[in-house]
Amino acid sequence: MTASKPPLSTFLTSQLWSGNQVLIAVLGICSALGVTNRLSVAITMGLSVCFVTAFSSFFVSLLRKITPDSVRMITQLAIISVFVIIIDQFLQAYFFSISKVLSVFVGLIITNCIVMGRTEGMAKNVEPLPAFLDGLGAGMGYAIVLFIVAFIRELFGFGQLFGYQIIPLSWYATSVHPDGYDNFVLMVSPPAAFFIIGGLIYLSKKLQKADS
Amino acid sequence: MSESKLRSRTQGVSYTLLFMVALSLVCAIILSILASALKEPQEMAKELDRSKQMLIAARILNPYVYFQLQDQEGRFVPAKATRDGILEPSHEKHTPNQQEILDVYRNRIQAFLVNDRGDLLTFEQAGMNEQKYVQDFRKSGYYREPLKLIYKIFSNSRGDNRFVEGYVIPVNGMGLWDAIYGYLAVQPDGNIVIGISWYDQKETPGLGANIAEAEWQSQFPGKRLFQQSPNGETNFNTAPLGIIVVKGKVKEVLDSTPKALSAVDGMAGATLTGNGVTNAYQDVLTAYRPFLVRLHQEFAKITK
Repeated sequence: MTASKPPLSTFLTSQLWSGNQVLIAVLGICSALGVTNRLSVAITMGLSVCFVTAFSSFFVSLLRKITPDSVRMITQLAIISVFVIIIDQFLQAYFFSISKVLSVFVGLIITNCIVMGRTEGMAKNVEPLPAFLDGLGAGMGYAIVLFIVAFIRELFGFGQLFGYQIIPLSWYATSVHPDGYDNFVLMVSPPAAFFIIGGLIYLSKKLQKADS
Repeated sequence: MSESKLRSRTQGVSYTLLFMVALSLVCAIILSILASALKEPQEMAKELDRSKQMLIAARILNPYVYFQLQDQEGRFVPAKATRDGILEPSHEKHTPNQQEILDVYRNRIQAFLVNDRGDLLTFEQAGMNEQKYVQDFRKSGYYREPLKLIYKIFSNSRGDNRFVEGYVIPVNGMGLWDAIYGYLAVQPDGNIVIGISWYDQKETPGLGANIAEAEWQSQFPGKRLFQQSPNGETNFNTAPLGIIVVKGKVKEVLDSTPKALSAVDGMAGATLTGNGVTNAYQDVLTAYRPFLVRLHQEFAKITK
């Protein structure tokens, strides 16, 4: 048995690409649509989810032997909620302007399928350290997808990256010069993320097929 | 062997109950410690944000977060705060820290009350506690109270040399999704807008939420609160009050009629948020009419 045991690091790396929670398991889509129209917001959300998945996986695993089977989901939920509230309170205290934009989405990390998926699917069956790495990897995989989507949406929706103007203002249509460039309005609204994530899922399937 | 023993022990009802009670207790203790530890920084962050938004409405703070001053020709130039909250022109756009923002706020902004006849009262004269009053009616709206909240904007000078540069009116309204809260700063003539801001709103990001963006707010300075009648005159006692957010562009909808002086461009895809903003200004400013009319009369006396 010990010979076939995979090294610890695969718990982390498998979550980034071949087992990416958004692209392969298609989980966590709701918040990925909601918080990806600005890079700064998407990164904060990605980091928050990393923190929550990593630590809740760790503690679920730590308690796995003494948790009664009949209440294991409630236990997981309670642990997840604690970490989500920690993040939410922390953002409100020290990153007020970002917490204003994230508003309900931080609270909704509790119901993010990725977190519960990892605690129920992995953490309750393994040692605390692999569980922690697995959770961290799942969060990072989610954060990477959010970053890509937000990059595309902010660039084409606002012509900016991190709030700085990238597309020169002189390219834009004005009343004098009406056939200039216009921001792609669809990119600003959540459905745009739906198309982008759809495209990313297609791409990752294609590439992973080529790999194997 | 011990594994199976542990398994069987963790299956009983009483164990399950005990486990849940213990877990809940631990979680509750962690969260209450956290909440009480972070309460102060959270309140400070909110307070700071409101002060910032008020300074933005009064055009003391630029929306891109640096102080500004008007030079002799009326242009805005970047400024830096000195230790006692006085601004000095500066060549670079210096981002102020928390303390500087609060110092300038304390030096330039002061809260007062107005009654239904338009008289200004201090909180002492009214026998009220400022902090409690501000806290109690933030959600319901100060404009609904018999004594309404107003902020004086003082000029950038020391002690007795200070004069009133304008007034800030807190604005409450209903957007598309939820309540919206903001400020409107008006010049001492009670008519011309200095600037506006919204400090709390939950409108659609990218559409209605643009009311909180500097670019959209930049349309407001210079607008008139009292709508001019078509012949270009303003009857201050009867003229409709407010700033209208039109559907589309002001230029296309109202052209250069006098009404255009009290209107701003709408946001594409956010007509309902625009209507909410229009209604908020109308409701709130109508409640402040006696005060605004009084300001106008006193201003007209001085300038004559």
